[in-house]
Amino acid sequence: MNRRKFLVLTGVATGAVIIPASVYFITGSVSEYAVLIIKKQLDYLKLEHGSVEQYVNDYFHNSNNAVMRMKWKSIYYLNISWERSNTLMELIKNFLLSTDFFINKMDESKVVKYLGLYSPYKSPVPNPFAYTLYPPGEVPNP
Amino acid sequence: MKSDYYDLVVVGTGFASSFFLKKYLKKAPQNSKVLVLERGHFFPHDERLKVKRGEKSSFKKFEEPWEKAINNLSPYKKWPFTTGLGGCSNCWWGCTPRFMPSDFKMKTLYGIEQDWPIDYNDLDPYYYEAEELMHVSGPNGTPFPRNGNYPLPPHEFSLVDKVLHKTYGNKYISQPTARASRATMGRNRCMTSSTCDTCPVNAKFTIENSNIGVYEDPRIELIYGAQVYSLETANDVVKKVKFIQDGVEQVAAGEVVVLGANPFFNSNILMNAGDKSPFLGKGVGEQLGMQVLIYLDGMSNVGGSTWVNANGYMLYDGAHRKDYAACLMEVSNAPYYIRLERGKYLNIASIRLLFEDIPLEANYINTTSNRLVPDVHHVKRSDYTLKGIENMKKQLPEILSCLPVEKLEYLPPFPNEGHIIGGTRMSSDPKLGVVDKHMIHHKYRNLFVIGAGAFTTYSASNPTLTLSAMSLFAADKIF
Repeated sequence: MNRRKFLVLTGVATGAVIIPASVYFITGSVSEYAVLIIKKQLDYLKLEHGSVEQYVNDYFHNSNNAVMRMKWKSIYYLNISWERSNTLMELIKNFLLSTDFFINKMDESKVVKYLGLYSPYKSPVPNPFAYTLYPPGEVPNP
Repeated sequence: MKSDYYDLVVVGTGFASSFFLKKYLKKAPQNSKVLVLERGHFFPHDERLKVKRGEKSSFKKFEEPWEKAINNLSPYKKWPFTTGLGGCSNCWWGCTPRFMPSDFKMKTLYGIEQDWPIDYNDLDPYYYEAEELMHVSGPNGTPFPRNGNYPLPPHEFSLVDKVLHKTYGNKYISQPTARASRATMGRNRCMTSSTCDTCPVNAKFTIENSNIGVYEDPRIELIYGAQVYSLETANDVVKKVKFIQDGVEQVAAGEVVVLGANPFFNSNILMNAGDKSPFLGKGVGEQLGMQVLIYLDGMSNVGGSTWVNANGYMLYDGAHRKDYAACLMEVSNAPYYIRLERGKYLNIASIRLLFEDIPLEANYINTTSNRLVPDVHHVKRSDYTLKGIENMKKQLPEILSCLPVEKLEYLPPFPNEGHIIGGTRMSSDPKLGVVDKHMIHHKYRNLFVIGAGAFTTYSASNPTLTLSAMSLFAADKIF
């Protein structure tokens, strides 16, 4: 098992022991690091100014304790990608589901706008796989 | 209570009780007196939605956590259920496939467990009736015998569904479901909202939105907050139902009694009443479910129209059931499985695989010092089921070879399926079960014990339509 995989699998407590010392002295909130991560991972998309920040603020509502800060700081500074971290994958998946990205049929030329945290009970975002976005006439016959 | 004596006393207001009452009321005289005892309260759909949205609701106090209603002794199992008017119709996901004819004849066909004392043909007319009452959406052409159209048209296939249907014909169908494919009877069309337990658009059939006219019937007296815990019997006849309401001990007397609570409580009530049936409380369980993610190369899995968009029967029936479990494939239309690789976001399908289990003596219900709260012991899955999983892993790549599969990823088994089965199994021979083919107790002949607790074996299929049809069948044959 390599070092990064070990970090990902064991989480923050272990990571705190072996993260480079410089990380401890870099200030910043959970939200700041999460925003940086999303923007880095989705750098090929045109993200509306302020959308990622607003999403992250909603996602981490009242979650800015020291453990969380270290966790997201570690993910950012260790350059961990979503392929290696389920937590990160969920953050980014949820971001895309919370935007108009799927409403715009994943058109990367369009600006991606945050619409509200994804929730089948509250948000206006439809199921990205559904007939509401891809009516029968648009689904080919094999 | 308005009366000292009732023609019928019914415990519970879920599917089993409500469908039993639907048929009973059709046949009973207009001056009949029926008492219904519901453990929970009326918690309207609109108020449930408020709670889901994080808003305040004065009804929230009526939520009863299942963890407190039973004593679950298994570390790997969960048994979520809902109390209150309509019972688990408030939290089910609306899956209504029929059982396969073979599910009723496991002993004869495969040498497994026991045959049911009823078969597919017995239930066939009642399946139609239940499907009509629920306004089920479904396809023409099913793997189980069925003629004509479902009440509502089938939901739309996704591209992956189309490929699999083209390959496997009627072994791969749009799922028969009580999630409406068209607006009907006060229910809205399913908008594939990705959750069904409390449907955001009220498309799913519930007892509350059913329009079946049971609890509005003037012959019925419905009491909420009535926790039934035992029966008073004399000379093998049930005389009274014992319950607690607002901390006060009460009894209700009736000519005929129907236990239609969930299998945990039905068994608990009978045990507290001193029933010594050897199979009482034994063999409780449910199907084992696990998810497989199918990563697709260059195919976008779009166009699906409801949560469980299709059912696959390619691993269900056959001689293999002599050795290992049938598997029903439930094709999920779940947003949470999107991919993050650039350009491949929707190139994925997910299938929930439901494996039948068999009733093991090691899995059982027992009473506790708290007469309202039973112990639930579930210590293991059968080897029959586990072998079914191994077989599936060998066969699935070939089954899916009609799709451009990049890779398959198996997720760990789920802790629950929401299908509580067993405890009061049905049998012809009183030595082999608790109730007979009409779900009348072998010993107490004025007592029905209805619901999935009466299943002789589990099947791989979702139980609700079958238990509803069984209630219609029993009430029709006896009254």
